[in-house]
Amino acid sequence: MSQPPDEPVKYIESKIHLPYDYVAGDYRALYMRALADKKILGSRCSVTGKVFVPPLMSSPESFAPADELVELSDRGIVTTFCVVNIPVIGREVELPYVAASVALDGADISIFAMVQECKAEDARMGMRVEAVWKPDGERTGDHTDISYFRPTGEPDAPRESYINRL
Amino acid sequence: MSSAPRTEPMTAEMVSEFVYKHSTGNDIGRFLAGMKDQKKIWCQRVRGLGVAVPPVGYSEADGSPAGEWVEVQPRGTVTAIARVFRPIAELHPSDLPFAYILVRLEGADTALAHIVVDDLDRLFIGSRVEAVWKPDEERIGSIRDIAHFRVIG
Repeated sequence: MSQPPDEPVKYIESKIHLPYDYVAGDYRALYMRALADKKILGSRCSVTGKVFVPPLMSSPESFAPADELVELSDRGIVTTFCVVNIPVIGREVELPYVAASVALDGADISIFAMVQECKAEDARMGMRVEAVWKPDGERTGDHTDISYFRPTGEPDAPRESYINRL
Repeated sequence: MSSAPRTEPMTAEMVSEFVYKHSTGNDIGRFLAGMKDQKKIWCQRVRGLGVAVPPVGYSEADGSPAGEWVEVQPRGTVTAIARVFRPIAELHPSDLPFAYILVRLEGADTALAHIVVDDLDRLFIGSRVEAVWKPDEERIGSIRDIAHFRVIG
């Protein structure tokens, strides 16, 4: 054999594997630990009074400290949403499902949430939803402590009540 | 100092991983097929450099097309070493301390990058090393079909 094989290898499979330690700041750690107690914390801007969730140390709008932590309701309003029809590796949720921004009662910005117990075609802006928590004893203080949000059946919120809280 | 609330540190071990396929092209593809199917290391004669490994299909000196295929020996002389004392699992090619090397294989005029995992205290510039092939059923057409190089003198 004075030649390599005529048939080439077509491709190689490879991966970049980057392990690292994530360190939550004070606010994110307080927020996560509170979830274990079924509490959702936000922070209030010392100048404008706006409430951010997850809590931010300073307002991105006024740049002022947001140094007061406040407890928020686990109910809120779907401010915007999309219907997911494409599977994502590592997420075992039946398709289609609704991914939504939810403005919790008392918060001035929305959090990202999954909405379940709701047909995709029934999802709408203004829909009232509530958190479904993991059972007592299973919550560990991370973002999976809220399993998902589900419709409450209350009347829809008027547009002006959430349109500036996306 | 701010009066913002404080708490104990919270940490988590995370992993970012990017899995991908890399098209090899005809020349590197045949080079890899030679390792997989023949346990041979094939190089190409190119203008300006001599026998070049790995064979990329052209001369890296002047861009001219590569000439004939040339088989080189799976042993040679170490020309450069970078020792890794604390490997990162799954990122580096070895979980134990190892060394990246450049090895000038017998019959080649350029050096191939690979690793040495054993006898690191005997590894120096100028050391003689030899390829340790993976078993037939484990060779997939990858530079890692050579598991590593071992020091032979």
